[in-house]
Amino acid sequence: MSHTHSPGDGGGDHPAAPMVEEITDFEVLEIAVRELAIEHGLFTAEDHRRFTEWAESIGPAAGSRLVAKAWTDPAFKKRLLEDAVKACKEIGIDWAEPTGFGTPSDYMNLRVLEDTPTLHHVIVCTLCSCYPRPLLGMSPEWYRTTNYRRRLVRWPRQVLAEFGLILPPEVEIRVEDSNQKCRFMVLPMRPEGTENWTEEQLAAIVTRDCMIGVALPRPGRTADVHPVQKARRPVQRS
Amino acid sequence: MPSNKPSAKNRTRAVEARFKVGDRVRVKDLPNLFYSRTQMYVRGAVGTIAALTYQDVLPEDEAFNRDGRLEQYYIVRFRQKDLWPEYPFENDSLQTESPERWLEPVDS
Repeated sequence: MSHTHSPGDGGGDHPAAPMVEEITDFEVLEIAVRELAIEHGLFTAEDHRRFTEWAESIGPAAGSRLVAKAWTDPAFKKRLLEDAVKACKEIGIDWAEPTGFGTPSDYMNLRVLEDTPTLHHVIVCTLCSCYPRPLLGMSPEWYRTTNYRRRLVRWPRQVLAEFGLILPPEVEIRVEDSNQKCRFMVLPMRPEGTENWTEEQLAAIVTRDCMIGVALPRPGRTADVHPVQKARRPVQRS
Repeated sequence: MPSNKPSAKNRTRAVEARFKVGDRVRVKDLPNLFYSRTQMYVRGAVGTIAALTYQDVLPEDEAFNRDGRLEQYYIVRFRQKDLWPEYPFENDSLQTESPERWLEPVDS
């Protein structure tokens, strides 16, 4: 490895910084409680591994199917808005799995928030990262950042604009802070240009971000690609 | 697997809800030394009951594995302008969930 130093930067050798795994107090606590539980035989390390792998393998596909079905089947949409946990069973998602009463942090309360031409919903958990995981899988990293959590409740329009979503002032933006045991998912409006589409075609444009409420579905948009903000004064390599 | 099910015997009795959808409520600013899920930004603010959700024990009790009585939970809707006085958009709103103990009725 060779470095070129410009005059006045101190010069000398820069030994590689030691690799330190950063770990938060809560992660330490989780490991301690998990190891205690394994020691006491509440579950085995193998149970824990299988559950973690299962939880991490859930993606947002079920949520996309749920929205596509609600768009094409008005009776299903009505059932979904009345009792979302029950409606999930119709597409094969059982919120009671795997314990019979839900996972330890997903509970059994889901409410679907329906967007209209004059109302747009967006979800956040200002306390931590509450998220409808049985339907959408693990939350994206940015959803869990303090930046998103504290700014969305205070400056929702500015935060949405950073995601590339700018809504006119006539549209009411409703932030849903899921700070207790209800979990929420946004049911966006079906976009124009999707008439006669099949449920599969529709599901493909209902991405994770559309169900969080930081993006709107539209034909041709099948992935959550966030705008890249280039640095105004990028690091100059000498 | 740890249980989130109401397990203690005195947690199972249903209680009568004090508020109904449309009622105006103020979020109390109760002292809490340890755990709470009532955010500072809603304390003292006036909102409207948007929905009755479920009955459960208080997070302040549950966090320490204390048995408490079941309480009704509500989704409360606030105007953003009532939470942040200089908020520039008239129509925008925010909803959050609260157990009954943190809410008091507002007249008129």
